[in-house]
Amino acid sequence: MQRGKLRSLIAGFAVAAAALLLAPGSAQAVPSFARQTGFACEACHTVFPELTPYGRRFKLNGYTVDILPQVSGITPSKEQTLMLNQLPPLSFMFQTSYTSTKKALPDTALPDAFAKNGQVLFPQQASLFYAGRIAPNLGAFVQMTYDGTSGSFGWDNTDIRYARLANENFLWGLSLNNNPTVQDLWNTTSAWQSPFDQRSATAPGPGAGTMIDGGLADAGVAGVSAYGYLYNSVYVELGAYRSAPAAAQIDSTSTNVVKGAAPYWRLAYEHQWGRHSLEVGAYGVEAKLYPGGDVPLSGPTNKYSDWALDSQYQYIGDENLVSVTATYIHEKQTLDATYGAGASSNPSDTLKTLRIGASYYYDRKYGGALGYFSTTGSSDDLLYAQGDPVTGFANSKPDSKGWTAELDWVPYENTKIALQYTMYDKFNGGDTNYDGAGRNAKDNNTLYLLGWINF
Amino acid sequence: MKTIIALAVGAVLAAGSTAALAQDQEGAKALATGVCSACHGPQGHSISPVFPNLAGQQSAYITLQLDAFRSHERGDPNARAYMWGMASQLSDTSIKGLADYYAAQKPAVGEIGDKPLMAEGQKIYTQGIAAQGVPACASCHGKDAEGAGAFPRLAGQHADYLVAQLQGFQSGTRANAPIMANVVRSMSPEQIKAAATYAASR
Repeated sequence: MQRGKLRSLIAGFAVAAAALLLAPGSAQAVPSFARQTGFACEACHTVFPELTPYGRRFKLNGYTVDILPQVSGITPSKEQTLMLNQLPPLSFMFQTSYTSTKKALPDTALPDAFAKNGQVLFPQQASLFYAGRIAPNLGAFVQMTYDGTSGSFGWDNTDIRYARLANENFLWGLSLNNNPTVQDLWNTTSAWQSPFDQRSATAPGPGAGTMIDGGLADAGVAGVSAYGYLYNSVYVELGAYRSAPAAAQIDSTSTNVVKGAAPYWRLAYEHQWGRHSLEVGAYGVEAKLYPGGDVPLSGPTNKYSDWALDSQYQYIGDENLVSVTATYIHEKQTLDATYGAGASSNPSDTLKTLRIGASYYYDRKYGGALGYFSTTGSSDDLLYAQGDPVTGFANSKPDSKGWTAELDWVPYENTKIALQYTMYDKFNGGDTNYDGAGRNAKDNNTLYLLGWINF
Repeated sequence: MKTIIALAVGAVLAAGSTAALAQDQEGAKALATGVCSACHGPQGHSISPVFPNLAGQQSAYITLQLDAFRSHERGDPNARAYMWGMASQLSDTSIKGLADYYAAQKPAVGEIGDKPLMAEGQKIYTQGIAAQGVPACASCHGKDAEGAGAFPRLAGQHADYLVAQLQGFQSGTRANAPIMANVVRSMSPEQIKAAATYAASR
């Protein structure tokens, strides 16, 4: 039984890692906002999906700025009970890609054989959005996505928000969403990180990541948060997330189930001067999770305490655009459940992620970006087990480090072509033979060409 | 009897137009605080120098600009990106209502710039640059930069916004003010900055 439990825990972990690996890149840039407001994309985006200061303001306001003809209703006391665009704010997104890794991936069935390198996905991802105002102070950003790697249509990012301007210096709101940080305003956090918001959907990606950096979102959660924006510079947000995976019932077959609710917090200060803006902030989450995976949802939990610092600088000139984003995430994992079940070597581990990126665009058309990423953490024989080729950790360490460089061409404000190269100095804990099956970190270096249109 | 009817009709009409006026004012206020405020602030004190402060601006000037956005006569990059769409659905009545609403708000207090820049700016503002054929800004915009009718208030404006407008007049991207195109033609970037800093500080 103990062995079975252990095996299923490891299997659960592998599934979670694979889910992380295969999670489609998020995308935010919706022409229905442009149709609703009459604003060109450049009003809200430097180059999509990165937001300008006004784009952040539009989001804070609950996506409600609207100039379209309305269907409206009022009560006899003149209270507005309906304000609906005559045409629904719909948008469509299409992504197609080409991915090639330095060394082909092993064949899934035949030993010593390799898969075909150089994969075309058409589409990599296709999404339908409802994005715009739905009532006087209520707006929605809802994304449904066809995922080309899994061949299925599913629910994606959702952020439904209510916002009120209390007075000149105070705006407050509520956000109901399914991805911690999808509601965030800056492009340092995981949901909308720039400059590398898009990664190949088929190339191997590092297996270890923190909860706030996508882990919790992939486990399937829903949450509500309240935010305030003071004096056009101070942002405060407090929220909580509960498990809400796509499955109808949450039971022992689920994995990483939140016990109670996981509090989420965000603090940021932004200063704007002339064409410049600088943000400095912090965010975090406290999540107690039942590992699940054939283990009943009771007894000890794993506690993940994440705190993070972030900063973003933007210069938005007429011709030159510069953005620099950075975040550092620290996660303390108190693994009462996993350690108790004999599936981790340590009762507690740490995991740290650092990301720094800079991008430059000329004329909002021609751009380039360079970024460094690193995830390092405690050595743990069982948590980071050898596992399968490519995805395994033969050195018992979660460490992955490397660089990404990208060239972009944005011929129209809603069309982007990106050529990206990612180099790994370390992958899943090692540089050479990191998976115990002879694969080196560099073998996962990825060339990725992405075509992306929104309309 | 006729007089009484006339008086009565007059009173009804007056009441009606007062009610309509009140409704227009209310509508303009709702528009200003509900939509325009996202960039220009609820009382016309904008959130960033990309967007002008509108509080205390000349009503006639605001009317002219909104009309120029609507007709695409004013086409500088930000006008296109933001205001063409915003103004496209405005009626003449709502334009007038918005203009009056902002004109009635309390203007922002100007920021004082660097001393040498202010000194040079004051000279340009009050005397012009005779050698380059630049007239004194004060001659149209007023001694205290409060503006007059079609000539906008500059006092309390973001200096960066004024610089961007002067650059737009110079490069021709903002082509709805032929007078200004002539005025700034020979001005250097430093002179533009100085004049804008001084005017904004009034």
